[in-house]
Amino acid sequence: MNPAPTIGVIALSGELDIGRRAELRDALRLQGAHGAMLIDLSAVAYADSSILAELLRFRAETEARNVRLALLITSRQLARLVEYAGLSAVFAIFDNRGAALSYLGEKTS
Amino acid sequence: MRSFALTVVVLVLIIPTVIAGGLLERRYVARAFAAAEELRNTRTTAFAALRYQLDEETGIRGYAATHDPLFLQPYSEAVAAMGPALEQAAAQVSKLHTGGDALVADAAATNAEWMRTVARPLLNPRVRDADAAERRGKALVDHFRVDMALLDDLLRNRQLAVDVDAQSAIDRIVLLMLGSAVIIVLIAAASGLQQSRLAARLEDQRVRAEAEERTNLQLRAAYKAEKRIADTLQDAFVQRPLPTHPALRFSATYVPASEESKVGGDWYDAVELPEQRVLFSLGDVEGHGIDAAVTMNRTRQALISAALVERDPAAVLGRVNAELLTSEARMVTAVVGYADATTYEFVYATAGHPPPVLLEPGHAPRMLACGGLPLGILQDAAYSVERVQSVPGALLVLYTDGAVEHSRDVLEGENVLLEAIVAAARQPVEKLASNIHAAIFAGREVGDDVAILTVGFGTDDVSSLRLTGDYAHSSFAGRVARATPAPAAFEARHRGRRSAVAAAKWSA
Repeated sequence: MNPAPTIGVIALSGELDIGRRAELRDALRLQGAHGAMLIDLSAVAYADSSILAELLRFRAETEARNVRLALLITSRQLARLVEYAGLSAVFAIFDNRGAALSYLGEKTS
Repeated sequence: MRSFALTVVVLVLIIPTVIAGGLLERRYVARAFAAAEELRNTRTTAFAALRYQLDEETGIRGYAATHDPLFLQPYSEAVAAMGPALEQAAAQVSKLHTGGDALVADAAATNAEWMRTVARPLLNPRVRDADAAERRGKALVDHFRVDMALLDDLLRNRQLAVDVDAQSAIDRIVLLMLGSAVIIVLIAAASGLQQSRLAARLEDQRVRAEAEERTNLQLRAAYKAEKRIADTLQDAFVQRPLPTHPALRFSATYVPASEESKVGGDWYDAVELPEQRVLFSLGDVEGHGIDAAVTMNRTRQALISAALVERDPAAVLGRVNAELLTSEARMVTAVVGYADATTYEFVYATAGHPPPVLLEPGHAPRMLACGGLPLGILQDAAYSVERVQSVPGALLVLYTDGAVEHSRDVLEGENVLLEAIVAAARQPVEKLASNIHAAIFAGREVGDDVAILTVGFGTDDVSSLRLTGDYAHSSFAGRVARATPAPAAFEARHRGRRSAVAAAKWSA
């Protein structure tokens, strides 16, 4: 029986634009050692394309290590922006925390 | 500043001290000089008394030996002068407080005794014992001379003491002067050093300020140069003329957020390709400046190159993504597609880009489907094609995210855009894109660059390109305000595809 993977959690709030990209990058690198990560954007209603690009670049970096990533998005506005950016193709996106955590807690193959 | 205050304090203390000390010493020296003068005069008086005494004695002895009255003349003169001389000497000596008063008094008494017991008896022609008188006279004269010699010693010693005092007072004044001169020189030197240091620091600051100014000028020049290049690139890229097509209507606009950020990464394109295809594209490169402009150019060239060999817009995006990933590139979002004027079909694909808006005569405008990852980030990004069967007079509006993200509430932004499209469609079709931009930002601040491209199908009646009337009564609720004037065949086709967006693999 495999031990449950530890889950890193990043929670951001407010409006995320290019001025907060470095903050996001630092937070992602800090938690990047975990085998699974929840990026909690439930308190975010706006993220510009540079922020979404940062998330995608992080996804590309962690892909080789098989890191499981989940986005928690509850704002309809942010959900729409994420739809523009096509993020659902590479991120598991949830609108409730429980579902996101149980997805991340599943055994990784 | 602190050392300046110190200098002032030192000078304020030293100058009065030097002046007061100098004045005191000067008075002291002056008194010493006066005392020396007095002593000299007193000694002169004493010598005069000695001379008178010598004249008296010489006169008396001459007379006693010769009885020649000739000798009596100097004697008489000396006797007459002796009294006042001794009185003067007594007065002067008493003023000097030398303790010499007794000597003067003794000398006077001795002289008086000599007059009484020697001079007067010898003046008498009948004197019997002249020898004895002369002997006594010699003793008295010696006594007188000893008194005078002692007095002179006293006065001379006093004079020496006064001279020494005066000399040391002079020495003190000289020392005081020298000392203060040294201190003032030191202060001046220190102050000069301070001044020169201050001057050096000021000079240093001036040099540094000049260097900074030069650097600023260089940076400004470099910035201006970069901006000029990038502006030129932007103009060259964006201002590519839109094709004039018998059945397609284009309009476009690019509005930078501000003059400073004129060099954005937004572009639009409409290019006629072989086989009567018209490729349209619109996109946005992350960031600003020359790098963004260069990536924009690469992307546009890659789009056209790919479109020459791929008919499928999704495959075009896949190729462009691969091309961008061959080098360190910025993220690019784009929508690319074809308008088919023979079938009234729009075929497009999006990469991380907001969805196109479709406006059909008699209907409210609507957002089409979107999706697909941005270009230039992930190697294996896959894109899907959207195929929209539309009608004559239909209009496709492509735009960059600045058109919907101005309020940071993208859902509100979409509504504003749809309203703006309806409003603009009532106006002349040639300036449609500009009018849409103007309608969005009427009363709003332009926060980001915005590019807008519209692609419309002509109606059968080519002369009436004004898209009035039909759109004017449209509403967002999706109601059909009144019957569309479109030909029945297209109307029927349109109704058959109520949800006109079909996500399907598009094949030639």
